[in-house]
Amino acid sequence: MGFYDSIDISATGLSAERLQMDVIANNIANASTTRTAAGGPFKRQLVIFSEKQDPNATSESEAGPDGVSSTAGSSAGVEATGIVQDQSPDRLVFDPGNPDADARGYVHYPNVEVVKEMVDMMTASRAYEANVTAIQETRTMGNAALNLLRS
Amino acid sequence: MAEISGLSFGSTIDTLGNSLVGASMQNEQIANNIANANTPGFHRSSVSFKDALAAAVDGPATDPDTLPMTADDDRQFGMMTGPVPFDPKPVTDDQMKMRADGSNVDVDREMAELSSNSGYQQTMAQLLQTQYTRLREAITEQPK
Repeated sequence: MGFYDSIDISATGLSAERLQMDVIANNIANASTTRTAAGGPFKRQLVIFSEKQDPNATSESEAGPDGVSSTAGSSAGVEATGIVQDQSPDRLVFDPGNPDADARGYVHYPNVEVVKEMVDMMTASRAYEANVTAIQETRTMGNAALNLLRS
Repeated sequence: MAEISGLSFGSTIDTLGNSLVGASMQNEQIANNIANANTPGFHRSSVSFKDALAAAVDGPATDPDTLPMTADDDRQFGMMTGPVPFDPKPVTDDQMKMRADGSNVDVDREMAELSSNSGYQQTMAQLLQTQYTRLREAITEQPK
């Protein structure tokens, strides 16, 4: 365990939240896209976050005698394990004159709700800031320890 | 890992050094909790290093309602009541589900703990620095 492992952990949080921001930006940019390479309208995308396990960790993560499970330092931050499509139905708009309208005159627009994306964007932004603050505190602690050399 | 000893200049320096190690481990766990703030189903973890620190100084915590089992002869066995090595372990907090996605990370709480842990670590570092200064004064016979 090095002192700066904390910064590595916070950095995984930064990159995961940044990926989240990229995907949200893509969703907002494509909020009205009716044609995609796969055919049909654009589908809203979601990032799946999962806890990252330390590959170097020993397998001590069984439950201890007192019933609390010990992670034994096996945590290594967060990782985005995938980007999946939101399978909720498309937004239908009645517009018979549109070249993308179906037989009944409805245009299939993406299932992106811009307001929802804005809320997700604020969540990601605040989480990013929290990780930045964690890095700053870790730096402060490291400096306090390094200053021992000056005594 | 969790041990700063070697030349023993008294137990204060060892204890302060252990407290720095514990604060560093706690900081790592808090950083991990914050990084996983948006991970569904994540359970926060923390290090109760202050208990481990107390056990390293005073011996393991005992139930106040029970009498300690002591030995007054080499041929008797007593329960271990002396100081134990400082070895804090991170534990997962499975209690208190508070969010709809199954996670129990409260970012406000984590930020508060991050701040207080950092303050604690800096205080301990300052105290350790004072100890080293005193040690130097004793060695060089030149008070600062």
